[in-house]
Amino acid sequence: MEALVFMLPPFAACLTLIGIHGYFGIHVLKRGIIFIDIAMAQIAALGVTVAFLFNINHTGHQTYFFSLIFVVLAAYLFSTLKCKRPRICIEAIIGISYAVASTAAVILIDQAAGAPEHIKEMLIGSILWVQWPAIVKSVIVYALIGLVHYFFRDKFIALSENFDAVKKSGLNVRLWDFLFYLTLGIVVMHSVRIGGILIVFAFLIIPSSISALFSSSWKNRIIFGWVSGAIVSILGLILSWKYDVPSGPAVVLFLGLFLIGAVLIKRFSYR
Amino acid sequence: MWETILFLLPPFTVCLLLAGLLSYFGNHILSREVIFVDIAVAQVASLGTMIGIMMGMTEGTLGSYLFSLAFTVIIVSIFAVSKFKNKELSQEVTIGIIYCMALAIAMLLVDSVTGGSNFIQKTFSGAILWVTWTDVLITALIFAPLFVIHMFFQKSFIRISDGDVDGYKESTIKLYNLIFYITFGIAVVQSVKIGGIFVVFMYLIGPAAMALFITDVWKLRFFMSWLMGFIGSVLGISVSYNYNLPNGPTIVCMLGVMLFITSLATRKREVATNE
Repeated sequence: MEALVFMLPPFAACLTLIGIHGYFGIHVLKRGIIFIDIAMAQIAALGVTVAFLFNINHTGHQTYFFSLIFVVLAAYLFSTLKCKRPRICIEAIIGISYAVASTAAVILIDQAAGAPEHIKEMLIGSILWVQWPAIVKSVIVYALIGLVHYFFRDKFIALSENFDAVKKSGLNVRLWDFLFYLTLGIVVMHSVRIGGILIVFAFLIIPSSISALFSSSWKNRIIFGWVSGAIVSILGLILSWKYDVPSGPAVVLFLGLFLIGAVLIKRFSYR
Repeated sequence: MWETILFLLPPFTVCLLLAGLLSYFGNHILSREVIFVDIAVAQVASLGTMIGIMMGMTEGTLGSYLFSLAFTVIIVSIFAVSKFKNKELSQEVTIGIIYCMALAIAMLLVDSVTGGSNFIQKTFSGAILWVTWTDVLITALIFAPLFVIHMFFQKSFIRISDGDVDGYKESTIKLYNLIFYITFGIAVVQSVKIGGIFVVFMYLIGPAAMALFITDVWKLRFFMSWLMGFIGSVLGISVSYNYNLPNGPTIVCMLGVMLFITSLATRKREVATNE
């Protein structure tokens, strides 16, 4: 019984994360920018590392501010880059930003003691130890962003579904693109502090990949993501509790198993 | 002064090899638009080594290397021959998921393996500065046959990477892809052992991207990317040696800076020719 109460915060955290990431993940898949969130997560993590090195309190407002600056810059960078072959270029830029941000973080972490542990924590976070204040704060932020995306859903969805058509219609695409990346960045920033980079990445692409197999309507896919996310989180947390393994990776493992299951179901349902 | 240069000679040489073969692969990777394949392959290779350690093989031995290689080749082959009908579930998504799962499983195992956290850190930072002439020789011996294979199939590989697939049977394309990705996997596994994941990633994308900013001609791209890659490595190693920074990450940041400068420089040229 005690275990259940102890598990409640991590479970709530997982639900919250999957809630918002399941939605954004559909955008990510449609735009074909799979790795942008891992780049943004790493950039946010780099912001935290920079703040940490200036000896600012690990969970204080200043680290938040630092990460936010980095994220805003990244959002600006991703939304305004244009070059000869747009798709190749943007993926390459994302990849390089990811590599540079990661290695810059490693260089900085190297200056302090206990480097391997910090790197590990950056990657997998600490969902098991999350506290209610952090969860509540995230829920509020995600809800606000969710509202923004709901109010302007026509523009956001249209932009992700068919970029060129929207551009021709005269909409200020650079502005809305920037807003998209900015809101995504803020979400990622919050998620990384709770769950680490791996969770953020997995929650963005796997639930929406599973739902893509079964439906093409946004509403259905969001609901599907929530339901499967809840199941997977329970299983993952139980596994991590029983076998004393990190909880983030455990949940991701089950997400992967779900995906394989979904692919198999889809294959066999054609016969 | 001479002592320093002598000490840095093996790292410089291995970077010449890495920059050469990896930037070559990188040009293909950019054209195929599967940018993150190597990060996935590198992570899978790293996971393979971890599993090998769990099963009792000491890291650094031939057994461990072969196990990791076999593991990687199997995963890479699955990727090379798979195709998804759904428009959204592109190859890039498959790569992302493979990377994600490999990292997750590695993280699940990290505490069960002695020295797990250190191993993870090493995969990130690499160990270029500590490379010996033996390592250089082994790398050259592994890279040489890969290079020969690619010279032999060069025309077909370039055509498939460009997407120009008319006249090829589906099974032929799959076979070429298999050869491409297996040779790629072998190159990445060896390179990650020396340089770490991010150095390998940067060698693949950075120089090739710089070359793409400058020209569309394949042969020129190969040459330019090798040159840029090597220059970046030398600068990176020198800076890291002088300022006592981890060398892998420094090389990556150096190449990143070079790429940034190149993109600015060529943008001005583009604007000028449009006016």
